[in-house]
Amino acid sequence: MSMHVFQLFINGHSLNSVEAVDTLLKICRENLNGNYQLEIIDIQKDPDKAEEAGIIAIPTLIRMEPTPVNRIIGALNVRSRVLAGLGISSMHVTV
Amino acid sequence: MVAPRPEIPEQYLYFQNRLRLPMHLRKLKTGNDSFDHIAHGGLPLGRTTLVAGSSGSAKTLFGAQFLAMGIQLYNQPGVFVTFEEQADDIRRNLKSLNWDIDTWEKEGKWIFVDAAPKEENIIAVGDFDLSAFRIRLERAVQKCNAQRVVIDSIGSIFTQFHEEMHTIRRELIQVALTLSRLGATSIITAERLEEYGKITRFGVEEFLTDNVIILRNVLHNEKRRRTIEILKFRGSNHEKGENPFSINPEKAIVIIPLSAMNLKHITSNERVTSGVPALDEMINGGFYKGSINLVSGAIGAGKTLLVANFVNGIREKKERCLLMAFEESSEQLYRNAAGWGIDFKQLEAEGLLKVISIYPEVSSLEDHFINIQEIVKTFKPQRIAMDSLSALSRTSSDKGFREFIIAFTAYLKHKEITGMFTSNTPLLAGGTSDTEGNISPITDTIILLRYVEMSGEMQRSIAVLKMRGSKHDSSIRKFTITENGADIGKNFEGISGILTGNPMLIKLE
Repeated sequence: MSMHVFQLFINGHSLNSVEAVDTLLKICRENLNGNYQLEIIDIQKDPDKAEEAGIIAIPTLIRMEPTPVNRIIGALNVRSRVLAGLGISSMHVTV
Repeated sequence: MVAPRPEIPEQYLYFQNRLRLPMHLRKLKTGNDSFDHIAHGGLPLGRTTLVAGSSGSAKTLFGAQFLAMGIQLYNQPGVFVTFEEQADDIRRNLKSLNWDIDTWEKEGKWIFVDAAPKEENIIAVGDFDLSAFRIRLERAVQKCNAQRVVIDSIGSIFTQFHEEMHTIRRELIQVALTLSRLGATSIITAERLEEYGKITRFGVEEFLTDNVIILRNVLHNEKRRRTIEILKFRGSNHEKGENPFSINPEKAIVIIPLSAMNLKHITSNERVTSGVPALDEMINGGFYKGSINLVSGAIGAGKTLLVANFVNGIREKKERCLLMAFEESSEQLYRNAAGWGIDFKQLEAEGLLKVISIYPEVSSLEDHFINIQEIVKTFKPQRIAMDSLSALSRTSSDKGFREFIIAFTAYLKHKEITGMFTSNTPLLAGGTSDTEGNISPITDTIILLRYVEMSGEMQRSIAVLKMRGSKHDSSIRKFTITENGADIGKNFEGISGILTGNPMLIKLE
């Protein structure tokens, strides 16, 4: 399985941010078998990175690799859609 | 029993508080004089104004000009948020106006917040907010101490997140609150689909209601007409209705303030010569200074001759005259004038005369107006002659022409410039033209030049139809063109029906 590199932009402990972090961590653990890098960026602490990436919505998840780069915004609360959006096979998902 | 009052959300309290504001809010001069004029001083200070317009109505330019003028004239830094165009494109597009955004960015006077759509695919899963945008906006404003903010254009964010209308709406209210807290004077632009319909495509006016400006770009009779309308400035005055504007290659948006024209100009009792002594006699001593005078006649009836004399009239007091010729080249004019004993070349050499000879079609009416204003600023003429207005009217819709005439004559009166315009009548004898219909109510003097068919001969006649505030000769006189110019003779006795084009001999008892 190829390496997955993610950036997740959050805003402190806002409800949507917490939910997005939880869901993403779960997906990574259960589907990527340790084969991933995740950088969580809090725009309160690191606004320059948000500027650089042109982030407007919170939370924003960027899949840097594998390419093409794509973005998912929102609290990521529908797992099947997140998996589809990230192009991760959901065959191993135990519901 | 009284039901408990429901709790009012913060944002509605905010809007309610707005209602208690006193009239005469403070305004921020934008630096675009023509806009500040119709806006009675500028944009509402520290507030947000919605600028709505269809695509191609110059919304982005309006916003960019607001920032550029702030930096150039008042050293007020600004933040430009782009939701639609890439920042690079904007930099490039504005270079031609001599706005050096690159340098301003380096000096920290202009900051771009790039919120334009990215190439990457975006999907939305679950609830989100625009807090990242708000934080970036706030940081940019604080970083350069911005006093002006432009958000261009807010509709694009709805297209970027087209499935999440409700969320975007909620979040934009937050953005409006952020802007209000920051205290900068802001412009938010928004699209509209129709020129005359609901204010914006996505209904942003529901929460940006205080100050609304509409830009239009209407196609009418194959001619484009740009207008600006200040719909409202809550708690403050402004001009009502549409005012035409033009996009000038050097000065960007220039508005021609129609509605702001008033009749309060100075009226002078001083008379100035028409250049023809006999005509001066007919109008009781000459035109009033600062009056608008119309000469109406068919082709060859002697209109240009009267204009030439009017121009020559500046000799008396060594004044200056601007002659706008829309029908003849300057060479032709010189030759014709020389044929009547008037030396235009000499007048020009003495710096008393400036002849601008152009085809009316080279630019729009608005641009002609702006050009004339520029010339007036430097040349400072006491007289303007325009030959002919009818030619100029070809370049615009009827409505546009009427507005131009109103604005232009008001401008001349304001500057105390005496004007002479000519208009062509389509019929050889009698009749009037559309041009006259538009202009006659606002002219001070109307002189008619008419052909009279008499016993197998075409004769010319001259008559003063009206002269505001003065006595005038009411007879219809013989008018002949000689080597020495205009010759006004006796009145046609015993003839009636000249003005209707059917002269008849009346037997006098």
